[in-house]
Amino acid sequence: MASPPTEHPGRMGGAIPRFSWKTALAVLVVLGLTGWSFAGTKFDLVELFTSTRPIEKFISGMFPPDLSAATLRTTAIGLLETFQMSFLGALIGAIAAFPLAALATAEAATVGSSRRERLLRTVPYRLSRFVLNIFRSIPDILWALVFVIAVGLGPFPGTLALAVHSAGILGKLYSETLEAVPVRPVEALRATGASPLQSFLFGRLPQAMSGFTSLTLYQWECNIRSATVLGLVGAGGIGQQIIISMNLFDYPKVATLVGATIIVVLLVDRFSAAVRKRLVY
Amino acid sequence: MISSPRSKEKPLGRIALEDVTVRFSKAPALEDVTIEVEPGERLAVIGASGAGKTTLFRVLTRSVALTSGRIAVGGRDLYTLSKKELKGVRRRVGTIYQAYNLVPQLPAGINVALGEVGGMGSLKTLRTFLAGPEGALAKRIEETLERVGLSGRARTRTADLSGGQQQRVAVARLLVQRPELILADEPFAAVDPVTTERVTDTLFELNDEGATLLVNLHDVNIARRFPRIIALREGRPVFDGSPELLTEEKLSRIYAGDPYGTAAEPDPETQYDVRRHVEGSARLVEGRDGISAH
Ligand SMILES: Nc1ncnc2c1ncn2[C@@H]1O[C@H](COP(=O)(O)OP(=O)(O)OP(=O)(O)O)[C@@H](O)[C@H]1O
Ligand SMILES: [Mg+2]
Repeated sequence: MASPPTEHPGRMGGAIPRFSWKTALAVLVVLGLTGWSFAGTKFDLVELFTSTRPIEKFISGMFPPDLSAATLRTTAIGLLETFQMSFLGALIGAIAAFPLAALATAEAATVGSSRRERLLRTVPYRLSRFVLNIFRSIPDILWALVFVIAVGLGPFPGTLALAVHSAGILGKLYSETLEAVPVRPVEALRATGASPLQSFLFGRLPQAMSGFTSLTLYQWECNIRSATVLGLVGAGGIGQQIIISMNLFDYPKVATLVGATIIVVLLVDRFSAAVRKRLVY
Repeated sequence: MISSPRSKEKPLGRIALEDVTVRFSKAPALEDVTIEVEPGERLAVIGASGAGKTTLFRVLTRSVALTSGRIAVGGRDLYTLSKKELKGVRRRVGTIYQAYNLVPQLPAGINVALGEVGGMGSLKTLRTFLAGPEGALAKRIEETLERVGLSGRARTRTADLSGGQQQRVAVARLLVQRPELILADEPFAAVDPVTTERVTDTLFELNDEGATLLVNLHDVNIARRFPRIIALREGRPVFDGSPELLTEEKLSRIYAGDPYGTAAEPDPETQYDVRRHVEGSARLVEGRDGISAH
């Protein structure tokens, strides 16, 4: 048996990083960035609390909230639309994410394969990673702008935006789950002559599956939150009602819409968290 | 008889390792290993933890890259075979490892079916994936599960079986696969004495039916039931012969320097203290010598 590598003698040290020029430099950089960002954003707590702007008027104008039948109806319709957008967005996103994630999963064992074979395997891998990165790194509200320009106002472009962004996020998370799975069963399959597809279907996928469900639920949860603001760019959902009422200075109605949104978001959060807890295995 | 040797294909033939060296970082896992194994042989591999036993098995399915040397299977260089030829060889190699090689989330029956998956076309693969094995294969799975004492457990999720039961599932998979070469890497590390006997018997039966059997063992007493024993130490073969030639002195040299002591004298205190009921497949700490059950 090879002897373990010898270390420097002396104290072992605690769990916090020990002093080094690298950490000192990092601390300096963080401090510098902090000051620079304070200046750049005109960050001013005094201004926040002494401002004479009509924030008070806005808040006091919200009470009492407008609970008329017409407003409640608008609220309900807006919320249902938000819900539908978030759900479809997560579902379509998940369906699109799956094949992309499968392609974006590195197959570990390539022992003895030729250069050409490895190249053939890299092309779809890189390509799907690239697509997923684009989907994911463009925020959903920007996607919503793009789709509003492409297909007009309403919940449809909002749903498309959520679907594309969800596909990007889920694709990345799925492929990470697939890669993090214990490899021994997969290798055992490969060693008895299973093809890459077969070892994926019977080795990787079953081990990653329960993770997928939980990730998808979580993405749906995030979509509900996103869907409430997509309306600000005209992409449907309750946000659209909120911005309309704001522009009309109808603050009591804004209060109802915002309050209802918060309640629904919290409820979905709870529900999804409870389901995910059960899934963990 | 469930397992009859494959008739159509040309047999795998003799396995010859020539000066095989495998280096992972700097210390070699295998160094200048030259071994020949005839078809139908029954061979035990022993050695301390980290001696290179698992690596030896992994090169036989081309699962790790060689640093130097050559491995011939039936006279042909394993590491230059085309993808298709390699698949053909691998299909005829059956493996059974500690407890890690089953897919814990799948039903036991599917894990057994995976012995056949290398020979399935795309359509049958998909059908099995979606609807499970059917027809003759399904029947064979039931029969083999019965043969290993797990009848009626085909639908049980593998993770819900005990360690010993899981090892029997792995044996059932071998029976379905009917391999010509069996690589068993510490198959008894997680199992009780009864299962150990049963698994040994089945492996010997398969060997009697013509399969070459290589078993990697920590338990020297079981190894002595094999007509040929190879011992590795720091990646080099230091013994190759029949059990009578394996003296106590040689044994202590094989296991010298291993802090867990020799596998020949397991500590009775810890002997049955393998945590075999812990959930999931991570139930085993690797390389714990001398605690395999008798
Ligand atoms: N994939 C790997 N990467 C790096 N080093 C490895 C790898 N696999 C094995 N090794 C090293 O090679 C050496 C031999 O390992 P191997 O698994 O063959 O030992 P072993 O005889 O099977 O041990 P054990 O009885 O504990 O299972 C060890 O030092 C190990 O750390
Ligand atoms: Mg090993």
